[in-house]
Amino acid sequence: MSAQKKRNFQIEAFKHRVVVDPKYAEKTWKILEHAIHEIYNHNASGLSFEELYRNAYNMVLHKYGEKLYSGLVATLTSHLKEIAKSVEAAQGPSFLEELERKWTDHNKALQMIRDILMYMDRTFIPSTHKTPVNELGLNLWRDNIIHSSKIQTRLQSTLLELVQRERSGEVINRGLMRNITKMLADVGYVVYQEDFEKPFIEVSADFYRGESQQYIDCCDCGEYLKKAEKRLNEEIERVSHYLDLKTEAKITNVVEKEMIESHMQRLVHMENSGLVKMLVDDKFDDLGRMYSLFRRVQTGLTLVRDVMTSHIREAGKQLVTDPERLKDPVDFVQRLLDEKDKHDKIISVAFNNDKTFQNALNSSFEYFINLNPRSPEFISLFVDDKLRKGLKGVSEEDVETVLDKVMMLFRYLQEKDVFEKYYKQHLAKRLLSGKTVSDDAERSLIVKLKTECGYQFTSKLEGMFTDMKTSQDTMQGFYAAMGGELADGPTLVVQVLTTGSWPTQSSTPCNLPPEILGVCEKFKNYYLGTHSGRRLSWQTNMGNADLKVTFGKGQKHELNVSTYQMCILMLFNNADQQSYKEIEQATEIPTPDLKRCLQSLACAKGRNVLRKEPMSKDIGEDDIFFFNDKFTSKFYKVKIGTVVAQKESEPEKLETRQRVEEDRKPQIEAAIVRIMKARRVLDHNNIVTEVTKQLQSRFLPNPIIIKKRIESLIEREFLERDKEDRKLYRYLA
Amino acid sequence: MGVQRDIVRFNVGGRIFETTATTLANAGRNSYFGAMFDENWDLIVEDQSKEHFIDRNPDCFSILLDLLRTGEIYLTSNVPEKLLYREALFYGLLDHVRTAKWGSFDGNRLRLSRSVNGRAPGDGTAIRAGPDGGCCVAHGSMVHVYDWMLEEHSPINLDYQRVNDAGWINPDRLVVSACERLGRGDGGMGLFSTSAGELRYKFHVSHENQVKSYTAGALSFSSDYKIYSSCKGRSNEYGIGVWDQNTGQQVDFFYEPPGWSLGDADKLQWLNGTSCLLVSTLFPRKDNCYISLLDFRAKKMVWAWSDIGTPIIDERISDERRVRDAIAMEDTSSICVVNEFEDLGFMDLRSRVGSVRWSSRSRLMKGKMPDEPCYPKLALHEGQLFSSMNDSISVFCGADWVLTSRLRRSYGGSICDFSIGGDRLFALHSEENVFDIWEAPPPPIMSS
Repeated sequence: MSAQKKRNFQIEAFKHRVVVDPKYAEKTWKILEHAIHEIYNHNASGLSFEELYRNAYNMVLHKYGEKLYSGLVATLTSHLKEIAKSVEAAQGPSFLEELERKWTDHNKALQMIRDILMYMDRTFIPSTHKTPVNELGLNLWRDNIIHSSKIQTRLQSTLLELVQRERSGEVINRGLMRNITKMLADVGYVVYQEDFEKPFIEVSADFYRGESQQYIDCCDCGEYLKKAEKRLNEEIERVSHYLDLKTEAKITNVVEKEMIESHMQRLVHMENSGLVKMLVDDKFDDLGRMYSLFRRVQTGLTLVRDVMTSHIREAGKQLVTDPERLKDPVDFVQRLLDEKDKHDKIISVAFNNDKTFQNALNSSFEYFINLNPRSPEFISLFVDDKLRKGLKGVSEEDVETVLDKVMMLFRYLQEKDVFEKYYKQHLAKRLLSGKTVSDDAERSLIVKLKTECGYQFTSKLEGMFTDMKTSQDTMQGFYAAMGGELADGPTLVVQVLTTGSWPTQSSTPCNLPPEILGVCEKFKNYYLGTHSGRRLSWQTNMGNADLKVTFGKGQKHELNVSTYQMCILMLFNNADQQSYKEIEQATEIPTPDLKRCLQSLACAKGRNVLRKEPMSKDIGEDDIFFFNDKFTSKFYKVKIGTVVAQKESEPEKLETRQRVEEDRKPQIEAAIVRIMKARRVLDHNNIVTEVTKQLQSRFLPNPIIIKKRIESLIEREFLERDKEDRKLYRYLA
Repeated sequence: MGVQRDIVRFNVGGRIFETTATTLANAGRNSYFGAMFDENWDLIVEDQSKEHFIDRNPDCFSILLDLLRTGEIYLTSNVPEKLLYREALFYGLLDHVRTAKWGSFDGNRLRLSRSVNGRAPGDGTAIRAGPDGGCCVAHGSMVHVYDWMLEEHSPINLDYQRVNDAGWINPDRLVVSACERLGRGDGGMGLFSTSAGELRYKFHVSHENQVKSYTAGALSFSSDYKIYSSCKGRSNEYGIGVWDQNTGQQVDFFYEPPGWSLGDADKLQWLNGTSCLLVSTLFPRKDNCYISLLDFRAKKMVWAWSDIGTPIIDERISDERRVRDAIAMEDTSSICVVNEFEDLGFMDLRSRVGSVRWSSRSRLMKGKMPDEPCYPKLALHEGQLFSSMNDSISVFCGADWVLTSRLRRSYGGSICDFSIGGDRLFALHSEENVFDIWEAPPPPIMSS
């Protein structure tokens, strides 16, 4: 206790001596206040940093921090009020310049003040949770300058007006604009947003709403898009020059909404300049512009895609259903390919190779190609044409390109099995007549089909090629075995075709002339001698022959004719005149074929090696035919074509159709059995779905036919109906 | 050689110093020298003979100038530490001083740097190192807070609620957990400002949307800004509460399963690698030890070990096998435990059935226990394992955890708690209320 008393006494004595000047704080603050004035008046060179720093330090040390801080707030406020006055007084264009100048001054002053008051900033401010000097200076600037009633609206309208003037083509001081917007952002992003960005966005929206209305009433689609693109780029550029980067998304959004989204429908459907017109006229630039602008809007591309799709479908539908086009299958397919090329190019050049557009294009083609049931036949005919002659002298790469395009069309086909049927027929003809241009091209296409549809699809086609090869070997073997025995007789070339691989119709052979019959018999004996257990039958409807003929004035020609025609002509070796009946009796060629042959021998101009009475275009049963002594031709070799319809005639078409349907039956049944074997029990709808799924790579089975196949399988006790639920089927193992 | 242009001349309290602008630039812009030589102030040396007068202590200036020149600090006998700190604060160089004062932490290079005396003897509960080199000491219902200069700030006084644990969120924010006093509905967990010693926020626990009073125990903080605390509610709401550090809201509560212990836990440890919380309840708080690993995302206990059912042959053996502290290793695949004789044991976290693999190291301790023993505690820091036992702390290193250093001072009695952080180790002694600060000295002068 005594010690404590002693200490108290000492403190009292001490206190008396160091009692601070009661005006100490006031005096010190005056010095600092004066310094702040000098700093704002650009008169800092006479100030002593050491003295000011020390004074501020002492005030904090002697617990006058509160006074120092509140004095600072008051002094700054009064200076800023002065500044506000001078900014308010600035007239016209000097307003922003004055504001910018004062802002630079204020920042510099603030830095210097903060240097003097560093100790307060470091100790007093954190412990009392006050606003640091720098932030305080910005806040006061915000409250006294930016939000001063006489400045706030004026600043806003000045900025917006400048933007507007720039939009109408004037040149403005971008540097000044940038400094002012940066000031707003420095003071606080909220200030930038509230005092500039929001009104800017609103005013821009109004502006573009008006402008777009004006444009759309007087411009065509392409022009309008050009203007919209220009405006969009201008705004992006504006942001990069003098606005905050975060504004870019907002302002572009405004342009997108007002200039594109609001007028999207009208633009796309604009008559004579809208999307359809652009597509028809290959306006790549306009299309590209439309794509890049519309993609910025949510449903923009969907709209473009939908309109494009319906246009392609409509145009395609017209193309495939135009009866005029059905006359020339090659041209028909060529047009399809052209159409595809055109749109492929548009998508790659203008639509950025957009996958969704590619898909839309594919589905459109799939849609309209299958509208015409003859598409598979025509595509096969197109290939036939190309492989017969179209590819002569064309480089290997170009051949590949053509084949790839054909494959692309093939992919769109739903009835791939129909194509296969026709392709087989056409291939058979090409192979047997030796008309195919390039073996490589043929094989290449088969490989493509194989990768597309699998081994099963092409096995028979490949079998045909194998037969051709084997036949060549067989013929060599035959002639080697016969040796000189055949030297005088006609030369025989036989192609041995495997039954089933070839699209042959069983036909009764005609009577061959005895000269030929002899060689044929020899071959038959040779062949059956080397291969046991086989049966040969002659397909006289498919062969051809070269005949050497001497006409009246001794002129010699070589005639290239079909086997039937040969049989007919050989009759004229012994007689100059034959009646229709006699020919029919001697050759036993089926009537329609006989008529066709005679027509081409007697009625075709320039190839009429026979003459008939009466002279008419059609062949009658009472006609009489004569050897045409007066036949002339400038060629030594004369090809007597048979009058064949290249395209199938109506009854032939029906027949092919029937055969296709017949072939589908076992395939559908096999699919049903496969599915049921795995599932054991399944209801009707699910079977139909699964069968369709399994078979769709070849054709689209008709649900009614599937139902019929199911019934047939039930009859044959592969399946049974569930006893309780008639819709369920069970597999019977 | 031309005339050197950047020489600066100071007159500090009457003594002349000459240095270069380059040296002064080391102080940084945010300092007295940085401001002084900023272009705004036009003080760039035109006339090299011009002196810059500073009305401060020249002895300290000399030390601080040396600090700016070399990055090192050497006190002279006539400059007390506190004086230097004050001057450094004036010039804005306090951070430079702190960086220069001690080197990075290494358990094998520690030197005792100071001892700080508390107010009342005994009964220290916990000591926690702060992130910037300060610490706090929980003591009855008080928490004393020291900054890195070991200046004591206003203490945190919890009005007779016993403090259980404390943890730093940042140098100015401390979370304190306290016991609930019966019938008063207080207790729980609060956020305090260390500079002012004031309560800033109180964390609540609610069960079925009703705010309940609770006793908060051990604390742990996770890297994703969550606070975990063991909680005991009034009506058997025991478990681990989870709060968000930013919002202060309770975000989860893991209820204690029957037959297990979570709400009474002695220690919580957040495992960064696995995003799990290790919860240890140990003897003598409970009759048995319960160690478990909680996965809060899957809401399940993914690993657990207890010594229930360990055969007790006689008293002695049972004590030998009794876990006194547990800590998950930094690779989070195993747990290290310690018994009361400072034998270390390990458990594999990857095997479902935990069993302790003891490495009997020091049977020497048996029979030499002091009258008032303090049971061992464990800590880990960058691959070094620390274990306190009686009045010393052992440092273990390497794959086999070999004893490499022992920190001991024969004053203050047994060590009841210790903590590592801010490049310092703090050890709180139980008999006298005194704590020691261990630091690694700055690296040697000739280090490469």
